[in-house]
Amino acid sequence: MTARRVFQLTTLALVLVSVVQVGWWLLDQQRYTRATVAAQRDAYAGQVAAAQALLDAGVEPARVAQLLPKVDVGGGRAALAPAVSAALENEERSRHRQYAWEGAFFLLALGLCIAVIARALRAEAQVRAEQDSFLALVSHQFKTPLASLQLSLETLALRSPPPEQARVLIERMLADLARMELMVTQILESARLERGRADFRPEPVQLAGAVARVVTQLEERTRRAQVSVRSSISPELYVVSDPLALDVVVRNVLENALAALAPVGAGSVTLEGRPLSGEVELAVADTGVGFASADGARLFEKFTRLHPGGGGGYYGTGLGLFIVRRLMELAHGRVSAHSEGEGRGACFVLTWPAAAGRVP
Amino acid sequence: MSPAATPRVLVVEDDRHLAAGVLENLRAEGYEVASATDGEAALAWLAQGTAALIVLDVMLPGIDGFALCRTLRERGDNTPVLFLTARGDPADRVRGLESGGDDYLAKPFHLQEFLLRVRAILRRWDWYRSASAEPATAQLRFGGNEVDFRAFRARAWNGEAHELTEKEAMILKVLAEHGGEIVSREDLLEKVWGYDVFPSTRTVDNFILRLRKRFERDPANPRHFLTVWGVGYRFLREGEP
Repeated sequence: MTARRVFQLTTLALVLVSVVQVGWWLLDQQRYTRATVAAQRDAYAGQVAAAQALLDAGVEPARVAQLLPKVDVGGGRAALAPAVSAALENEERSRHRQYAWEGAFFLLALGLCIAVIARALRAEAQVRAEQDSFLALVSHQFKTPLASLQLSLETLALRSPPPEQARVLIERMLADLARMELMVTQILESARLERGRADFRPEPVQLAGAVARVVTQLEERTRRAQVSVRSSISPELYVVSDPLALDVVVRNVLENALAALAPVGAGSVTLEGRPLSGEVELAVADTGVGFASADGARLFEKFTRLHPGGGGGYYGTGLGLFIVRRLMELAHGRVSAHSEGEGRGACFVLTWPAAAGRVP
Repeated sequence: MSPAATPRVLVVEDDRHLAAGVLENLRAEGYEVASATDGEAALAWLAQGTAALIVLDVMLPGIDGFALCRTLRERGDNTPVLFLTARGDPADRVRGLESGGDDYLAKPFHLQEFLLRVRAILRRWDWYRSASAEPATAQLRFGGNEVDFRAFRARAWNGEAHELTEKEAMILKVLAEHGGEIVSREDLLEKVWGYDVFPSTRTVDNFILRLRKRFERDPANPRHFLTVWGVGYRFLREGEP
């Protein structure tokens, strides 16, 4: 039996037992109250009978009233004073009400506690399910480069190909290894982000400088891919972000643009920064393969690869943009993707809070 | 599907490296090859050309491999399919074979095993085609039923027309070839599916039940597809007296 089922059955048993117990307790209290009030009425009936006997014996009504103040002796007849009778009825009713409220409060508190526990358990089960599916996805993602690596090695072993063909196979294997290494790095990074343990230290960072550093690092690759990168960002623009996170975000978005350009063969990437009120926006536009507008939101989910085969030697892991989204969330910023459709390029818009004192 | 002198294999795989490795090895084994990187490209290719075998990745962008295979079967395309996939659990294997696949290989795989399976599937189809080549063997008549092995069609005793899956046709073929003899479940598996494709021989039983439902007048008391308890099946063309 699953833990969930055990919890459901135990809760059901607990609720049933509690309802029966509270019901029984209510009934018992009512019976007790009724008996107590009846006993009090009996005691008063004794006083009324005594008062009547005294009146019949010719004692002055005023004297009887003094001796037995709860008895009304008007008109020569002894009867329980209406105020006393009403007080008895009142007490009986108010006790019934009090017990009903207490019982209901107890059941309500019990229900609330169960709901809180159920919610906590559900949240925990969801985290576990997400971790499981993450693990399953990760293992799937690894199997393809692993299969390619094994195939290349076994081809070398089985066929003893001529040197130039062997060279191609070795380069393919090295690329597969690089692909797996990148995946390990990004999977660890995303797992760290998932648990919210990223060591995120926001500070004012100059956007133009951060972008320029990443563009320089990728210069060799963009030159080989025949991609021209143009950026126009004012040096006045400062954003609040962890500098390292900003570097990762810009790098991942740029690498994504290069991947989108790979199947096209060549093209351009434009990075444009502009101030908004209290925020700074960076738009990264490419002339690559683009995507259907319906896929815009899906792009930032884990392991989404709209063009998995890549092209021109590039392979995505399906984690780059997921990491971008998480890091932008941590920076209290946002990211969105836009495309006019497949084959018509794409534009990624990143927005950070502007650094205080440098608000445009 | 026309049998070519050199069998042509269509490889549908979105991973460029893996596709290149598979294509090179198939070429080295003497097969003609073609490739597609997604399901739509594969369908477009198949609309123009024919293949003796499709090597099909399951996790493709757009239409996935299972859906592509089902689409082909619904169109009456019986080209054998070998699934290549990162998902190797038994439930997925069964799903793949139920969608009309012939075999299933989990990534990463051994090159020699892959080539062996390709050869095995092509050999089974060669056998099926040559066993249905003559007019006498292309048709089977029993108990008022008529089966056309080349068109994968049948007309039952009650006049109902049936499209046969390639597995149903192959099982019928094996049983008809050994008419009157006992054919074990293992032999049927070996001949129709290959060696270790299915987790159990129960699958054969399910196929036999389907054939009985289609071709027996009283499926509960079969006269043509007889069970030999603990061994397998016996097919009687004339029907049990």
